[in-house]
Amino acid sequence: MKKNLPPSELARDSRFVRSTIMDAIMDPRNLAMSERDLGSAKLQPGRPAAADRARNLMHGIFTGEIQALEGAGRTTFDFDDDEAPFALKLDMARQCWDESRHVEISVKLGDWMGTEIGEFNEATFLYEAACATDPILRLCGVNRALEGLAIDVFNTMREFGDISGDPILEFCEDWMLADEVTHVKMGSDWLRRLTENDPERRERALEFQRGVDKLFSLGGFRGETEENPIQLARKLRAMAGFSTDEIDEISEISVQAQEDARAMSAGAAPSS
Amino acid sequence: MADPLKPRPAFAPWDRREIPGLFDVEESARRVGIYKWIEMRLFETLGGWVATVPELDVKLVLGRHCYHHAWHAELWDKRLPELREMNTTRLTVPANDAMEEFMESIREPEAPELTIEKLVGVYRVLIPRKVAAYTYHLNATSRITDAPTQRSLGFILQDEHADWTEGEMLLQSLIETEDEVDRAARRQVELEKMVLRAGGITGPGTLGEVPESVGAQVEGATA
Repeated sequence: MKKNLPPSELARDSRFVRSTIMDAIMDPRNLAMSERDLGSAKLQPGRPAAADRARNLMHGIFTGEIQALEGAGRTTFDFDDDEAPFALKLDMARQCWDESRHVEISVKLGDWMGTEIGEFNEATFLYEAACATDPILRLCGVNRALEGLAIDVFNTMREFGDISGDPILEFCEDWMLADEVTHVKMGSDWLRRLTENDPERRERALEFQRGVDKLFSLGGFRGETEENPIQLARKLRAMAGFSTDEIDEISEISVQAQEDARAMSAGAAPSS
Repeated sequence: MADPLKPRPAFAPWDRREIPGLFDVEESARRVGIYKWIEMRLFETLGGWVATVPELDVKLVLGRHCYHHAWHAELWDKRLPELREMNTTRLTVPANDAMEEFMESIREPEAPELTIEKLVGVYRVLIPRKVAAYTYHLNATSRITDAPTQRSLGFILQDEHADWTEGEMLLQSLIETEDEVDRAARRQVELEKMVLRAGGITGPGTLGEVPESVGAQVEGATA
């Protein structure tokens, strides 16, 4: 088996349909839909099509968990003993088990919410963050950026479950949230340990994380205003080892990502 | 109430534990180091395969079992310093070159259509061999002097038996044609021959007395 498996080779059965972020951003139908004024974009039960959006998001969580499982698994394999400490690999193996359970929970929740595997497409950008060749960049991309996004998503979904009166959704998201806080903390701890005497490597890792965070802000998907479906979970992120400055920075990156996406969409709009 | 001052034997009549066992400290440490090396290579392999298998149920089981073997490696890593091996990487080695080749061969299949070959290597060859070697160690070493190793072996064997069953059930559900039966059998034969050449997963004497030449090497390594 070779090291560093590219995203194009992720193995899936026939139900899965793959797409890219650019497919979504450049799709003129999405531009037309985003121009509709539907009020707050926050995920809340009173919003039109809230149930469909929640199902779509749940499917996204499901595919994201598969890729998180694959990313953690590859980190146990891709690095030799002298490149990644034994204890780091043990942590990644533990994360494999956690992500495996999250996939199981997501499948059960998908059934509960009325969706099925393959109903929505799968983008592989989460796994792409797990393809860095330096283990600490990978930890920053996956554990701090990707799992950080998972904290925001699960917290939003847990609140959605609470206010929409769905105790099963709230219960499951709460359990997954507990694991994600652990994973983010794991990433923060390893970043500190592995770059203790190498500030340049730490800066490279943090820069990589900023790039991934911007990607994960998905043109306004995550942020702190009424326009953002997923809300930045400040308190839980602090619990997972993010400083206030780091959380502020992610918030700013989200605003910037939203503006960039607007500019790209405008550029892609057909001239009439 | 019984007289609290009445002398009682240290061992209750039903406690039949005996000393000595078949293994001295060096031999137990040698085996534990090999176990750790095998568990490490195994959890890395399962972790790497997760992304390469299209079957969703297999993918999830591999993710779970990956952690089981990592935990086993961690238990062995913690045991080594207690067996006078302070540099835990020194004994974390394959039993011999043939064993290293065997593990390389186990992890070789990559393509998404090779799930049967992947699972046969782990669940029909390696794990049965591990169950045998661990059980032999459990039965052969002293239940008094080497009790910490035995305790770990007990936990690990519980996992191994459960994972073996689960892997075998996955295989039986994946093998649907006679051609696939042949594929599974061919793979098993190929790997069995390799592990035979290694003398078992801890080398010659895996399930019996350790040849003197191996014991002498161990003394030299830990002196």
